[in-house]
Amino acid sequence: MKSAPSPAGVGALQDLRKARRKNRLADLDWFEAAYRVYLVAFAFGGAALWLSGFIKDDRVSAGTMADIFQHGPALLGMLAATTFAAGMRSGSRGGPLAVEEADVHHVLLSPVAHRRALLRPAFQRARSAVFTGTIVGALAGMLAGRRLPGSDASWTFTGTAFGAGLGLLFMAAAFVAHALGVPRWLASLLGAALLAWQVGAIARGFPGPFNLHGSLALWGVRQRGIDLLAPLVTLGLAAIGFMLLERTSLDALARRSGLVAQLRFAVTMQDLRTVMLLRRQLSQENTRQKPWIRLRRSGGSAVIWRRGWHSLLRFPVSRVLRMLLLAVGAGASQVTAYRGTTAMFVVSGLLLFLLGMETLEPLSQEIDQPDRLAALPHNRGDILVRHTIVPLIVLIPFALVGLATVALIERTAGAVAVGAILALPTVWLGAAGAAVSIVKDAPDLTSAAVEQTMLPPEMSGLTTIVRGLIPLIVSVIGAIGVVLVRSAHEHGTSEIGAAVRIGVFQLMLIAFVGMWVRRRDEWKRKFKNMMAEGREQTAQQRSRQSTRSL
Amino acid sequence: MANQASRHPKPQNSRHPKPETQAASARAGEATVSPATPGAARKPVTGGALAANELTKDYGDRPALAPLTLLIPEGQRVAVVGHNGSGKTTFIRMASGLLDPSGGTVHIMGHPSGTSEARRALAYLSDTPSFYDDLSLWEHLEYVARLHDVEDWDQLAADLLGHLGLYDRADDLPNTFSRGLRQKAAIALAFVRPFELLLVDEPFVGLDAAGKTALLELLDSAAEDGATLVVATHELSYVDKVSRLIALRDGEIVHDGPASGSNVAELVAPPG
Repeated sequence: MKSAPSPAGVGALQDLRKARRKNRLADLDWFEAAYRVYLVAFAFGGAALWLSGFIKDDRVSAGTMADIFQHGPALLGMLAATTFAAGMRSGSRGGPLAVEEADVHHVLLSPVAHRRALLRPAFQRARSAVFTGTIVGALAGMLAGRRLPGSDASWTFTGTAFGAGLGLLFMAAAFVAHALGVPRWLASLLGAALLAWQVGAIARGFPGPFNLHGSLALWGVRQRGIDLLAPLVTLGLAAIGFMLLERTSLDALARRSGLVAQLRFAVTMQDLRTVMLLRRQLSQENTRQKPWIRLRRSGGSAVIWRRGWHSLLRFPVSRVLRMLLLAVGAGASQVTAYRGTTAMFVVSGLLLFLLGMETLEPLSQEIDQPDRLAALPHNRGDILVRHTIVPLIVLIPFALVGLATVALIERTAGAVAVGAILALPTVWLGAAGAAVSIVKDAPDLTSAAVEQTMLPPEMSGLTTIVRGLIPLIVSVIGAIGVVLVRSAHEHGTSEIGAAVRIGVFQLMLIAFVGMWVRRRDEWKRKFKNMMAEGREQTAQQRSRQSTRSL
Repeated sequence: MANQASRHPKPQNSRHPKPETQAASARAGEATVSPATPGAARKPVTGGALAANELTKDYGDRPALAPLTLLIPEGQRVAVVGHNGSGKTTFIRMASGLLDPSGGTVHIMGHPSGTSEARRALAYLSDTPSFYDDLSLWEHLEYVARLHDVEDWDQLAADLLGHLGLYDRADDLPNTFSRGLRQKAAIALAFVRPFELLLVDEPFVGLDAAGKTALLELLDSAAEDGATLVVATHELSYVDKVSRLIALRDGEIVHDGPASGSNVAELVAPPG
């Protein structure tokens, strides 16, 4: 038996990769690709313009700049610490690589060295992470340049380098953690320790593990040679990760290959719920075998009520922790919006949307079984709306967590009172947006033919985008209340009164969403019938006119 | 389609490629399993075509495979049977290197599973065939054969396609095939490369009568050439063709011995 490296196999690998690239390029619709690039550029340009609207044009004072020099490295280092911890987490869960399932079976089970076979996908993965970091970093640098001393170009360049460094740091940490087989618990422990150290550096001012990374982000105005150690360490770590590619687990690659293909498809279809589900599967976040509390086997309560509790009582600890973090983040964002950074209400709304997506698991599961749902001798809308009841109850403690966060940060009786009025309706409206997102993916029971013929292709694309945004808008509307309360405060009217009015409006909107979930099929059917009748009448009128003219 | 296929060599009546080494040390019907005894000192077995030592797999708190120690000598023909969830696929995937064991080791032809040497010796026919979206069946065959350093692969590929009734589909994308045709394509890919040990998981699922016959002929031919065959299957009629039968129940071996005379139906019955 031969045990030497297989040059012929490597040659085959290279030849076939070339052939596949050629096949893909031959199949590529260049117009479509150009259109996508245009859309992405348009979205980024729009985001840059929108964000720049929140940045004032006047330069920061010398005192603020001194503060930035003092605390900036540790604060920005927190980004690097989080990135590093996330990378280790990914690596310990089998990431960051994902190759095609066929590659696992045909290439990685062949005698070709795994390092040779995986070098290219690893490089591509790192390149894409660096590119993403570059774009985000450039945008942040450009915005920073408007207020900080130094030229716009130097800040944009610094932001680009910092973002690229973070992208590479994530990949390097992931590759090394994977190759070394770092267990999940150890990755979480190390990540938490590094984050705690960095938090200590922010709070107490001692050197943090990622201060040099953070300091590098200030090169737009201050350059220190020692900061260059940070990219050197990142590059070194990345090199080690690439060298250890031979140790990549085939088990992890086999498990991830199918999931990643599904994930890409779900992203293409803008199916956010499936994306979240697959992300959970990729990170091996499995439902608990044993529920936290076991319900009696033959409970007499309503079946959908029981089904909801069966689902939610199996959430793993990591998922519950994530939901708590989302609630804390939403509460903190509300306070920030109240204090003047208006745009943070959008962040709060998005976090509450995600919290709703997590909680509405029973509804998601029902939507994922369309055949079973259609076979039930009950109105589909009735069943779906009942699936939201248990999640809405479960959200109450999370609303309290959000309220506690507000109380901890703001520490005024007025803020707590407003929070107490708005917390629950705001959290529920966040979940209502999630419910819209989930239910709109349900298969249409009525024929789509009428609707499709009504829309020209140019419009259908726009309609798809708007439909995708509606759920997020519903959630964000829920979070805008804090801005209206602030406005009441600025105009000298009662904050409590404003909060009550907003709360009532939010509850009405929640009730409307519930009604939409329940009667959506009926409304759609009526609308389509109406359109069909209208078209029929138009056709008859035209027919009569042409008869008269004859 | 015929025009497209005519660009490839026509199938001849040749058999599949002979494995590189053909150790015929196996004794038919030899039972070399010894279920693990906790605490017992045992010298790890690494010889033979497949050697598993204290091999275990847990999914969370649920054990999928109890500590399993067995040796499959070269040239032996083995069937692995058991009810759904008995651990057949888990065992086969761990042996192929696609699944990390929770404990224990597997050696293929004396090499740890998953190493380059083990991969060279082992062919794995999965129960869920996977193909590239952008390669035709013929291109798949070329790719796999060349990855395994097979030089004169094209005549062999044509023979295999002819044998499996796929010759006219050589230029089609296998991802567009029906379940049965996909299975036949996967069989062709498993046999287009040399191997000393063939691990097969549920190979008969989705195959028509002609496909089953073709596969059985290929398996017979490989066995005649000295290859070791380990086939996990629910197709009980296949058991008559093997010299050794391993039955799993809830992740534990409940039978390991000659296939003849075994009450297979009882062995594959689910627990309880």
